[in-house]
Amino acid sequence: MARFCCACSPQSSPLTFIPKSSSNFRAFTCSATRLLSIRTPSRRPLSLTATLATVHSAEASGVDSRDKKLLLEVKDLTAVISETKQQILKGVNLVVYEGEVHAVMGKNGSGKSTFSKVLVGHPDYEVTGGTVVFKGENLLDMEPEERALAGLFMSFQSPVEIPGVSNIDFLNMAYNAQRRKLGLPELGPIEFYGYISPKLDIVNMKIDFLNRNVNEGFSGGERKRNEILQLAVLGADLAILDEIDSGLDIDALKDVAKAVNGLLTPVNSVLIITHYLRLLEFIKPTYIHVMVLDLCLKFHRKQMEQFHFGWQSEKLKSTLNFSPL
Amino acid sequence: MAATLLSPHLLLNPKLSIQTSASKFPTPKSRSTPKIRAAFSDPFVLQIAETLEDSLSSSLTSSSAPLQKLRDASSQTVLSTPWPSRKDEPFRFTDTSLIRYSQVTPISHPPTSIAISTDTQFPNLSIVDGHIVYSLSNLSQLPTGVFVGSLSSLPSETITKRVSEFVANFEGDLFWSLNGLGTPDMVVVYVPAGCRVEMPLHIVYYSVEGGDIGSKKLPVSNPRAFVLVEEGGEIGVIEEYVGVGENKCYWANAVTEVVIGEGAKVKHSYIQSQSLSAAHIKWTSVQQGSSSSYELIEVSTGGKLSRHNVNIQQVGPDTVTELSAFHLSVGDQTQDLHSRLVLDHPRGYSRQLHKCIVAHSLGQAVFDGNIKVNRYAQKTDAGQLTRSLLLEPRATVNVKPNLQIIADDVKCSHGAAISDLEENQLFYFLARGIDLETARKALICSFGGEVIERLPYSSIRKKVETHIKALLEPTLKGSS
Repeated sequence: MARFCCACSPQSSPLTFIPKSSSNFRAFTCSATRLLSIRTPSRRPLSLTATLATVHSAEASGVDSRDKKLLLEVKDLTAVISETKQQILKGVNLVVYEGEVHAVMGKNGSGKSTFSKVLVGHPDYEVTGGTVVFKGENLLDMEPEERALAGLFMSFQSPVEIPGVSNIDFLNMAYNAQRRKLGLPELGPIEFYGYISPKLDIVNMKIDFLNRNVNEGFSGGERKRNEILQLAVLGADLAILDEIDSGLDIDALKDVAKAVNGLLTPVNSVLIITHYLRLLEFIKPTYIHVMVLDLCLKFHRKQMEQFHFGWQSEKLKSTLNFSPL
Repeated sequence: MAATLLSPHLLLNPKLSIQTSASKFPTPKSRSTPKIRAAFSDPFVLQIAETLEDSLSSSLTSSSAPLQKLRDASSQTVLSTPWPSRKDEPFRFTDTSLIRYSQVTPISHPPTSIAISTDTQFPNLSIVDGHIVYSLSNLSQLPTGVFVGSLSSLPSETITKRVSEFVANFEGDLFWSLNGLGTPDMVVVYVPAGCRVEMPLHIVYYSVEGGDIGSKKLPVSNPRAFVLVEEGGEIGVIEEYVGVGENKCYWANAVTEVVIGEGAKVKHSYIQSQSLSAAHIKWTSVQQGSSSSYELIEVSTGGKLSRHNVNIQQVGPDTVTELSAFHLSVGDQTQDLHSRLVLDHPRGYSRQLHKCIVAHSLGQAVFDGNIKVNRYAQKTDAGQLTRSLLLEPRATVNVKPNLQIIADDVKCSHGAAISDLEENQLFYFLARGIDLETARKALICSFGGEVIERLPYSSIRKKVETHIKALLEPTLKGSS
């Protein structure tokens, strides 16, 4: 029934599945072929990506994942903090296809937000190795604004205030930047207002909110809803939601989940970074990745329902010891 | 006579000797006296003083009693004050060579044909080159009892007496005294007790006459305004300084005095958009009675050398003072604000916000905000914040926020920040697909927004916003 596969090697593509079952955590990590090359003198353990056999994902989604278009492919991404050169990401592998919802969970400090910031191109982090391919293009070569215009949206964990610039002006500028790229005529303020007012209902916010300055005086929950509004207005092929559920009460959470679900289509995907499972009760994920102290393990949601998640590696060890078949 | 003049101590103080020499001014003077005086007075200052006096005596200017009193007091001070040098603290960062090395000539009459159109819907008064021009003014919408006009045409003696009480009370610096000496007339705005003026009064000071760049000719105008608001009165005053024509060189040396009675309110908007080659020096001296409220919102974008001196004296407790200023240097400009707030009575509340943008490598901004909380000013709540944006390498800003606190039961704070645009705000724009240039433009234009949105009248606000956007356009196109 449940089958765990571990594929971990910088050279191999994540699509090669090496079915293995083992009773020992160490053996589990080492049993993949070509691991020996990774276990070499480097003292820092590399991150692994455990992927499921395609059989299960086919069961779950009803479509062979290989038929869906590849949206994002991250291979062995390593990154350091620009200022201190301290390494944060130590080899992350991730694959996202169209129409999927991925969740990334993990301890504080395990690198989840860093991962999303690196994908978006934040200047605080420097990529030292690995590749990221988004819609067939090398993402790491693109400037942050190019990445956004290519269809990558990130909702920030703590959105910054921009006093003096109103929400509607900001959204208008962003929307017009997209229109410019597509060669479409830009929208003036009045036409834009007509376009945007129905979107406010999606996030359950009032019209007067548009005239307030971006995030100025907003509570945490309002800022998060503002991020979702921006997603609704601008649209994205891959939306990365960084801790969108932190600071939201249960009603706001339902609103946000409803909005995100409403924006999902078979051709776009969402990557949710979160600590809690409750958001995932509303936005059902296709895959859940766990970044645990440099380990990134992907679980199918059905499997997740079957056992309780603990972050200590012993607990994880024991859950991973769950031997299928 | 000569003996008394030779000793410097007596020169500064003796009422006798100076008065007799002062009376020599209007009449053609002998060449001997200036030479002796010159040994103790700055010759350049003397020269300006003489030309101002000559121009006043030759033209048909009014000389009502308060004005004469003002002129006499000013001439005394002028004779003993040297031209400010960089070694004097108030002018440490401000280079006045634009005026010092030019040929200063007073403008004795307003230009005969003036191609100016006033587009304001408020009651307005036009002053051209320091002279009131009633034909371009419209004062019909003012309530009864309110007077706006020249000192000489004040309707009642009582008001004239009230005005004389305050004239020549305060001693500013040399520029204050030069204005007192050379002002052809004084605009008086009188609001009687308990009168609330609904529409703001819009005073526009036009500067028409000017020399061309490089000609070294610097025509000077000395407009002076006096606002007296009696107890419980309320008025909004908009003072706008505009340069007419293309980048003329001139010197506008303005003074505005405001006396706010008990419980009165004054909202003072000051907009300076002079020519970019002109010198603009303005004094604003305010006296606040108890429980009065004074709000000053300043937007200063023009002038090669622009200096605003603000002095606010509290004469009663429970006052409210709010000062906001936005300065912009897009070229080789100096924007200077020297302000002083003197609190001598308890429970005063004051907030000061100063924001400036320097967008040129030769541009400069200066801020010296002084707040004196004296011994009896207990329970004062004073706050001061200055934020500067430097957008070009070698752009300079010198800020000196200073609070001198003697009272011991007060709440005072001050903060200063000088920076470029904030990284994480810029990144927020980039992450939404907005390119860096547009992001910088939006953030720069919104920097002054905090001050501009305090302007109480939306027509003025829009005008100022458009003007600033236009000024910032070429800067932003060049930068990336």
